[in-house]
Amino acid sequence: MAKISFHHSDGNVDVLDVDPGTSLMRAAVTNGVDGIVGECGGQAMCATCHVYVRPEYLDRLPEISDDEEEMLECTAGPRDETRSRLGCQITVGEDLEQIEVDVPDDQI
Amino acid sequence: MTTAATEAHPVPTADWVTIPDLYRNPYPIYQKLRAESPVHWVPAVNRYMVTSYQACHVIEQDQERFSADETNSLMKRAMGHSMLRKDDPEHDVDRKSYGNVLRPKAIKEHWNAIFQANSDKYLAQLKAAGSGADFIWDYAAPYAAENLRLIMGFHNATQEDMQRWSQTMIDGTGNYADDPEVWAKSEQSYNEVDDAIDEILPYLRKNPDSSLLSGMTSMPIPLEAIRANMKMTIGGGLNEPRDVLGTTVWALLANPDQLAQVLADEALYARAFEESVRWVAPIGMYPREVRQDTVLEGVQLPAGARLGIVVGAANRDPAVFEDPESFNINREKKPHLAFGGGNHFCAGAWVARASVAQIAMPQVFRELPNLRLDPDNAPVDAGWVFRGMTKMPVLWG
Repeated sequence: MAKISFHHSDGNVDVLDVDPGTSLMRAAVTNGVDGIVGECGGQAMCATCHVYVRPEYLDRLPEISDDEEEMLECTAGPRDETRSRLGCQITVGEDLEQIEVDVPDDQI
Repeated sequence: MTTAATEAHPVPTADWVTIPDLYRNPYPIYQKLRAESPVHWVPAVNRYMVTSYQACHVIEQDQERFSADETNSLMKRAMGHSMLRKDDPEHDVDRKSYGNVLRPKAIKEHWNAIFQANSDKYLAQLKAAGSGADFIWDYAAPYAAENLRLIMGFHNATQEDMQRWSQTMIDGTGNYADDPEVWAKSEQSYNEVDDAIDEILPYLRKNPDSSLLSGMTSMPIPLEAIRANMKMTIGGGLNEPRDVLGTTVWALLANPDQLAQVLADEALYARAFEESVRWVAPIGMYPREVRQDTVLEGVQLPAGARLGIVVGAANRDPAVFEDPESFNINREKKPHLAFGGGNHFCAGAWVARASVAQIAMPQVFRELPNLRLDPDNAPVDAGWVFRGMTKMPVLWG
């Protein structure tokens, strides 16, 4: 199992234990995490699973694809040049057994 | 171990629902249905109608239990087997064939200038028709049709062709009464679209551009899938932006305080757009089929059950939206289901937002001062599977 922590701006944290291979978006939508919408089901088409990845995990993430880059320009909450990612493009597993992210106040 | 089955409720029947009532105004019917159960068997529609937000949301996220590949689908007959009636992984192959054509970068770099030129052209025609002209038929419809014609790459057709193809094939998709005249018109459009595709593909191979059909020429996608997906896109990419444009302008004209807000801050057109599609989803219902005996939000459904996912009702669910029957651009932001969700999330969502909220609406209100409804010639809103303004005479100046 891998561990994902979603930190909310009010101080609450949702900690999920999920199967390896699960995306942050899918984990959040399946478990009803507030503030992650995931409208498009993971096609990098909607920008409603925007997260700010905590700095200590940044160097373990996959490169930002052209599609993700394009959608990061369409987020409702402000983009952070280093920490903003789409939750649907980050998958936990062998190379990333644990991750912590901050959830933006706005997704739509 | 049958706890799920024994705890689940049987589906109630709503035999009082009629199609003419739904067509006139479905919302009081949805209120009554939703308050009683998230799902009903509705004999007049010959489907289970799913009306609660949560139940619609669960279905959109679970294509294993709720398949888009419907048996005896009227849409397959009217338009061919498009990606809208496929599940993954087959759906994903078709979806990828659309490439980047409908995505924000292409819109910004290419399509916005074309949308602006089209808006200039049809707004000039509306002005020429004079105060009292019909906003839908003199502006919104030709504007949406011409945008779609160019996005798709139908350089051998007119915007009038696009409107006729769209309406007749949509009528075929909704031809539950099996009216032979409706099928005849739908089939004529089916054949015309196939002919137009056959004619334009060789041209686009030699003269590539930014259009969908041009992109298809270099994609590993069979002609049969191209034909079906193009018909689905004609049906799903014209009436909807037309209708959201009409409904939003109507709602703003009927709510002068909100119109004043938008006029003072053009960034609010985006809010008005999202609230409009929540309030009146242009596509109010779409089908799914239950793959195995299952329980949905406490209600038992048998394998093979044909569902109508009524996002038009889900978007007015009081469990999610406060005062849901009102148009209110200042309401708390919550995700609506008007673009669908999951793998079938509307591919044209960004095109609709750009063409309607960024280009058409600001220009309409800027160039038609004192735009207002005609007190002597009332507008008409109608429909339930598809809903919009069927008539909207406007005055200005």
